[in-house]
Amino acid sequence: MDAIAVNRLSKRYGAINALDAISLHVPAGEIYGFLGPNGAGKTTAIRSLLGFVRPTSGNCEIFGHDCWQDGVRARRELGFLVSTGTLYPDMTGDHYLDYVTQLEQRPAVLRPTLLERFELDSGALSRKVGGYSKGMKQKLALTACMQSDPKLLILDEPTDGLDPLMQRAFEEILSVVHARGTTVFMSSHDLGEVERVCQRVAIIRGGKIVAEAAVDALTARRQRLIEVIFSGPAPDWPETPTVKLLEREGNRLVISARDDTRLILNELSVRDDVRDILVSRPSLEQIFHEYYTAQGVREPGRH
Amino acid sequence: MRPLTILALTGRGLRSGIWGLVALVAAIAGFTFVQPLVIASFGGASALDAIMSRVPPAFQAFARTRPEFLAMTGLPGYLSLGFTHPIYIVMSGAAVISFTARVLAGEMASGAIQLPLSRSISRPAVYLSSFVGATVVAAMVAVAGPLGMLAGLAYAQPGDFPLAHLWSMTLLCFALLWAIAGLSLLFSAVASSSGRVVGWSLGLLLFSYFVDYFAGVWEPLRAILFLSLFEYFAPTTTLVDGVAEPRSVAILLLTGTIAFTAGLVAFAQRDLPG
Repeated sequence: MDAIAVNRLSKRYGAINALDAISLHVPAGEIYGFLGPNGAGKTTAIRSLLGFVRPTSGNCEIFGHDCWQDGVRARRELGFLVSTGTLYPDMTGDHYLDYVTQLEQRPAVLRPTLLERFELDSGALSRKVGGYSKGMKQKLALTACMQSDPKLLILDEPTDGLDPLMQRAFEEILSVVHARGTTVFMSSHDLGEVERVCQRVAIIRGGKIVAEAAVDALTARRQRLIEVIFSGPAPDWPETPTVKLLEREGNRLVISARDDTRLILNELSVRDDVRDILVSRPSLEQIFHEYYTAQGVREPGRH
Repeated sequence: MRPLTILALTGRGLRSGIWGLVALVAAIAGFTFVQPLVIASFGGASALDAIMSRVPPAFQAFARTRPEFLAMTGLPGYLSLGFTHPIYIVMSGAAVISFTARVLAGEMASGAIQLPLSRSISRPAVYLSSFVGATVVAAMVAVAGPLGMLAGLAYAQPGDFPLAHLWSMTLLCFALLWAIAGLSLLFSAVASSSGRVVGWSLGLLLFSYFVDYFAGVWEPLRAILFLSLFEYFAPTTTLVDGVAEPRSVAILLLTGTIAFTAGLVAFAQRDLPG
């Protein structure tokens, strides 16, 4: 069973089409990245999953339960990371975690492990949340979200405000809960982090899913960066719809090629002034930027 | 719906503004406490009759009673002025409205409502917790006024007054505050900020108060008097007779109940603000 199933989900706010018939499926046990800049529809999609907004058409389900019609069941095994601005400033950290446990009615089995990993000691937890730094609040919110070991985690910007050491700690925790079979649906502006921890990603733009694939497949199927070092000055390279000249300086030439790179490599192989060739996959960040700098919106499935 | 979860949410809502609520309840009790002291300081009800007969008609309307009626009703009539006084009404309304504005609209604006609603807690359960809290606040405020007056009467002893009549006054105050709580919680369920709830609720109270006030001096307004909540709030007859008029109490309670129910329906169906 899919942990999350979004079926042709649309959401309109007056004249604004925040989501335009998006569909995506997250199998149970997967870590899924959901990428898009502010205003792309990412937050509306997450809010639809949580039952905060009613779909205009289509639906979304969590473990087979409709998020709007049957929201209480859909959220039964859900852990959602609330933003740090929504924490109650007059509560102590301890009291906040106990309050969340009271609301969830599930034992906080992972709380000791999480507190240890996030270095939240009893001294910190006995202070009021209003006096916490942003990073401390984020660690408390993450602990509250994961402490009852839910089957599904929805994390919006989970490492926002965390220092690099705590980001690493978060990634380790994520690998631990993933090993226990937890499904993770996360959005992040840190694309390096998404590339490291996620197995699949979807990219949303203008309320539509413009790419959805395994991270490996996405980086493997799209463009290649080809860096060529010549023995003399680098020659000019003709651009085509699938080949772009990125840099030409001295004896160095960098081109990007979409889809098949064999033609370029064949052409280079017959030249006797080529000293070195380096072919690399683009990072997820480069792919993301490509989607967002490209004109128009690609259809889902056309990568 | 799990009762313990609802109680936890109610407790959270009440605790978040507890000192403001305690201060207002104490101020209301203090305000009604001084009414018997003031009457006693003037020499009792009979001495006040002479003063009231010289008050201009507009001010009589503002006080929501007439000198000949006060002279006839005696001490209970003068005591009732404490419950129709704008200070009492503003403080009572503020206590209820500040709570109802904070719990739904306030938490939607801050995003804090995301915590319970992202767990397996239904919107009706969250609404019910606010309803329980609003009822508790309305009951506390309704009790505070008569309780303060009871203490003032015991302390100043301005004359004979059947203390049991304060029970009926408590019921009438509760009915009025229940109606205000219901309407302001309905506003809270549909608004997206606590400021808007306070604005709408105060607008409603001002409308009710001024319709009730001007209807006493301007005949045409009597046609819409039935729209005013204060048309059904008659402390003088309640303190004199010892009975809150059943029809008025029923209308106020029904208004509150309908508003609470409408708020539940609206909150269950609406999109939460982003």
